[in-house]
Amino acid sequence: MSYAYLFKYIIIGDTGVGKSCLLLQFTDKRFQPVHDLTIGVEFGARMITIDSKQIKLQIWDTAGQEAFRSITRSYYRGAAGALLVYDITRRETFNHLTTWLDDARQHSNSNMVIMLIGNKSDLESRREVKKEEGEAFAREHGLVFMETSAKTAANVEEAFINTAKEIYEKIQEGVFDINNEANGIKIGPQHSPTNPSLPGATGSSGSQGGGCC
Amino acid sequence: MFRSRSWFGGGWGRPKNPHSLEHLKYLYNVLSRNQTVSEHNRGLLVETLRSIAEILIWGDQNDSSVFDFFLEKNMLSFFLRIMRQRSGGSSFVCVQLLQTLNILFENIRNETSLYYLLSNNHVNSIIVHKFDFSDEEVMAYYISFLKTLSLKLNAHTIHFFYNEHTNDFPLYTEAIKFFNHPESMVRIAVRTLTLNVYKVEDTSMLAFIRDRTAAPYFSNIVWFIGKHIQELDNCVRNDADHQSQNRLSDLVAEHLDHLHYLNDILCLNITDLNQVLTDHLLHKLLIPLYIFSLTKRTTPLGDVASANMNRLLQNRALSLENSWSPHHENYINGGKVSCVVALFLLSQVFLIVYHAPLVQTLAWIILKTDKTSYEGGVDKLLEQYSTEMKKQKQRIEESVDSDTSTQSSSKEGSHENLLEEQRNVTDEEKQRLATSPSESVVGIEKPFLETIFNSLDCTENDYTTLFSLCLFYAVANNKGIRSDIIEQILKPKKTLVSKSTNDKDIKYSYNMQLVDKILHVVMLSCQPTCRVRLVTLELALKLLVQLVMCDGKCILLDSHKLTIEAAKSQSTALLRNFYKSEEIFLDMFEHEYCDMQKGLLNVEWLCMDSAVLLPPTGTPMTGIDFTKRLPCGEVERARRAIRVFFLVRDVVLTLNGEIETQLPLTNPQSCVQIDQALDLSISRYNSDLIGCTVIYKDGTKMRRFLVIDILQLILVEPDTKRLGWGVAKLVGFLQDIEVSGDKDDSRCLHITIHRPLSGTTTNRIPLLSAKFVFDDNIRCMAAKQRLTKGRIKARQKKMQHIARLLEIPGQSGPPSPAFMGASGGGYTSRQMGRNRERPLFNRCPGLAAPRRESSPSVVHRADAEARRSRNTAESPSRVSKLRNEASPRTNKEDRSRDSSSSSKTRSRDSSPRMPRPRSEEIPLELIKKAPNSVIDMAPKISILPRPQTPKIECEQSQLEKSGASRDKDSGVSLISDISEETSFIADEGDSAMIAKSFVETI
Ligand SMILES: Nc1nc2c(ncn2[C@@H]2O[C@H](COP(=O)(O)OP(=O)(O)O)[C@@H](O)[C@H]2O)c(=O)[nH]1
Ligand SMILES: [Mg+2]
Repeated sequence: MSYAYLFKYIIIGDTGVGKSCLLLQFTDKRFQPVHDLTIGVEFGARMITIDSKQIKLQIWDTAGQEAFRSITRSYYRGAAGALLVYDITRRETFNHLTTWLDDARQHSNSNMVIMLIGNKSDLESRREVKKEEGEAFAREHGLVFMETSAKTAANVEEAFINTAKEIYEKIQEGVFDINNEANGIKIGPQHSPTNPSLPGATGSSGSQGGGCC
Repeated sequence: MFRSRSWFGGGWGRPKNPHSLEHLKYLYNVLSRNQTVSEHNRGLLVETLRSIAEILIWGDQNDSSVFDFFLEKNMLSFFLRIMRQRSGGSSFVCVQLLQTLNILFENIRNETSLYYLLSNNHVNSIIVHKFDFSDEEVMAYYISFLKTLSLKLNAHTIHFFYNEHTNDFPLYTEAIKFFNHPESMVRIAVRTLTLNVYKVEDTSMLAFIRDRTAAPYFSNIVWFIGKHIQELDNCVRNDADHQSQNRLSDLVAEHLDHLHYLNDILCLNITDLNQVLTDHLLHKLLIPLYIFSLTKRTTPLGDVASANMNRLLQNRALSLENSWSPHHENYINGGKVSCVVALFLLSQVFLIVYHAPLVQTLAWIILKTDKTSYEGGVDKLLEQYSTEMKKQKQRIEESVDSDTSTQSSSKEGSHENLLEEQRNVTDEEKQRLATSPSESVVGIEKPFLETIFNSLDCTENDYTTLFSLCLFYAVANNKGIRSDIIEQILKPKKTLVSKSTNDKDIKYSYNMQLVDKILHVVMLSCQPTCRVRLVTLELALKLLVQLVMCDGKCILLDSHKLTIEAAKSQSTALLRNFYKSEEIFLDMFEHEYCDMQKGLLNVEWLCMDSAVLLPPTGTPMTGIDFTKRLPCGEVERARRAIRVFFLVRDVVLTLNGEIETQLPLTNPQSCVQIDQALDLSISRYNSDLIGCTVIYKDGTKMRRFLVIDILQLILVEPDTKRLGWGVAKLVGFLQDIEVSGDKDDSRCLHITIHRPLSGTTTNRIPLLSAKFVFDDNIRCMAAKQRLTKGRIKARQKKMQHIARLLEIPGQSGPPSPAFMGASGGGYTSRQMGRNRERPLFNRCPGLAAPRRESSPSVVHRADAEARRSRNTAESPSRVSKLRNEASPRTNKEDRSRDSSSSSKTRSRDSSPRMPRPRSEEIPLELIKKAPNSVIDMAPKISILPRPQTPKIECEQSQLEKSGASRDKDSGVSLISDISEETSFIADEGDSAMIAKSFVETI
């Protein structure tokens, strides 16, 4: 499988905000929301293209290990990007953002790109957190912000890809030390791409393939 | 997802619905017809597997027959069959398979469905299947699958994974094979899984873990940690030039990860497991490698030569061949790391791990090991420790009826104190109690402690000093270590001394030798050309306080007290050299104070910073924090001197049981804040009201009145509700303004107010930058003059305040305006006399003069009279008594305005922490007081001429002074002085302000 870079992401936020659903929605579009069933998963990978370069995203959900300090610490350290998710229909998930952010800032490498995500934008009627509040929080803390819906897939693609773009830019600027895998970035194997007609060749098609379902 | 039903409302059961039993049956057919994977059906299979996951989850929540069908047809076995095919088991299919399983196990909520899925051991077969782990993607999905399973573990489900009869636990044993996988995410998943497993309270499973896997797993971890720190050590040795900071910081972070992981395990409190783990750590890592690296002596034989260490030694020998760099003083050969690294890593251990059996042993060995047991090696040491503990236990038992204990350095134990209480202590013994610590602590007999002690020496530089301090601090503050182990060495010791049978004294003693050493560090830090970093000084002082404060008292002996006082004088003298009238000094002084309040030393964070592992450097180009390197250039040396002054000053105050009353220079409580309503008719403001139009860069215009207060420039807008009042719309510090005229328009001024350097923000955009248009050029000139003068005065006052702090002679001037705060007409007539100010004011007819609501003076005079009579009647002693009575009063208004007594009581917790306020943030303060509050305040304020001076002598001398001035003015008492100054004042409410201005202008 050939890619120019591999970016490792983590996805953080209170339980129930939709992390697992976002992750699956992004990595496997075949789980279409029209099926009236939201399914989640805690790991996924997918290939995207930026600047005509193949970039593989690996997303690790950190849920369920909050009790262990060592785990939280290491997760943050090993990631190049983080999606910090809250639920627009539950204010307390928004209120907890600072705690999450403090943790992230303390443990991660300083270059980690953090994207703030207000999820469940489909539930407009139950909204408790205004979009402007999310924007203000993001501005104040220097994050990129987006409202998404794992249910309708709105903005999900953009959230993950914009994060990747920012990481990519940082690499171009030379901010990230790409030779240091501890940063959550890996340079792809240098050998020439295998036969693209093989499903395994892109590595991503396994999870992404048949996106049209 | 029952909730999800409502999203689209009904709609199930349509024949073509992909969420139906029919659809699953169809998929089953597809699987049966495609049992052999080929290039052609691969895509179909993948989609089928994916759909199966979807239907099963739907079924789990909506239709139990779906699951029944899945189990009945044993569909998991299809999964296995597909996986096992060499040709078909390409990563493509395997990845989908694993992802399907992930989705299944993660989304299934129905317990019974879960049990069914697990019941036929297929899952275990999948776990042990040899996937192509060289495929990064397969590896990631596989390990996520295992991790997902581990999150499902509980007392029930454990039995599906751990087979008691076959003693088999594939989930765990397969996972730990990857514990050292090169991919960090894989390693983390393995660690998560292990912790999830240990967490399950199942005796037989834990017994399996302990008996069958703990030794190999733990010893592997230990071995790899050992390897890591060798790498780390190499990195430090070879990087005198700070070239590989990234690599080093990774290695340090990695070590921290290890320690946190070990600590997470230990915190689960699984006795058996902890024992094995502790044993491994002590025998194979912490003692032989960490502790023995402290000494330069060759490692004693003993079990250091165990296979494990031999491997380490060999690796080391190879890797060191051409890497030994001579700059490194602490180079030790043979399986050791350098002393710096050992000290640093041990500090981390004590800062993170607090499992008592582990840290206690370590602490004991570090602090108490003598030469003889040292020669015996690791085993001997541990043996001796356990004997010691046994002895101690015995002694406790014996102590009930005897007083057997005789002190010997190796017999110090927890309960000696109890014993000593019973004994008569002779003078000689007392003497010994006071002095023995140093002897027993440092005798050459204690090789480890000796090294740490010697490392404290910072005559050359403070490279190792910092780490010794870290280690001492970490040990002293580790909550897993019983206090008897560190008592006397790192903590004050209390001994009850019987004078007679029922008269007992508590005798305190502390580690004099250590305090000697620390004071030496402090003294050196105060020298102009020393090589001690600020962080070292701060830590030294922090430790010092812990060493000599007991029961809220300072037990420092006089000789040591003298030393620390000398250090204070020295640091003051050092800073005096930098005291200049140059503008930048004041800004720096305030900036450093604020910066320091923000970043109080956190030792745990300090020990996370790999930068300190490299030899101290002076160049800021390394990106190393200012406090963690030596100063570079004159400005940085000044900054350093300022900080040293603050640090030493603070400790001296703490040791004397005093609180800071002189810093910060600006008392935030005394500042006007935005939107605050001000009574402009009172003396403080109305003398300086100038109307103007403010034109901002963007063209916005505003009509405002310019008020020049003592420290601040205030732009007010007339209050629509109250005549004579105004609302502060903008406030800035006079010291931060820049004023220039306009060459084209003589009525215009360009005013810029910079944000305080010390502000919490890094925002350097000026607070205000605008053009001010006045009614005519006279007013314009007046304003300019006042602003310029105001700026100079504000700065002068602060500089005088600093000068007093630095005991620069000839600074007997009035108290700093900062501490007079805004309370009252702060200009003393001596400095900025009304006689000079008023005329100017009067000559400007158009200047907006706030309206007075009533004619001046009557009430005020009466009040002043009252006060005078009170004052004259009061003797100093009565005064201080009165103050004491008054201070507990916490009338909010009094507190906020009165910087004298109130700030004394609370400055510790409020003001010093507070940065110099940004003008916008200054809390709302009372301007106008109720008439009767004057009475309340009078005794308080009237006696504190120098509000911030805690010492009685000062009060007295000030009182004398005030007396003297009264004499001098012969009859024209101070009161009348004030009356003069404030005679235009409007209403009675303001007399409170006057009352204070009286006091503070003395
Ligand atoms: N309406 C709506 N529900 C969502 C969305 N994302 C997730 N959910 C639901 O929120 C719940 C929690 O989602 P999950 O991904 O498990 O949250 P996690 O704990 O953060 O992983 C599930 O019931 C999802 O169906 C969304 O975008 N819109
Ligand atoms: Mg989840």
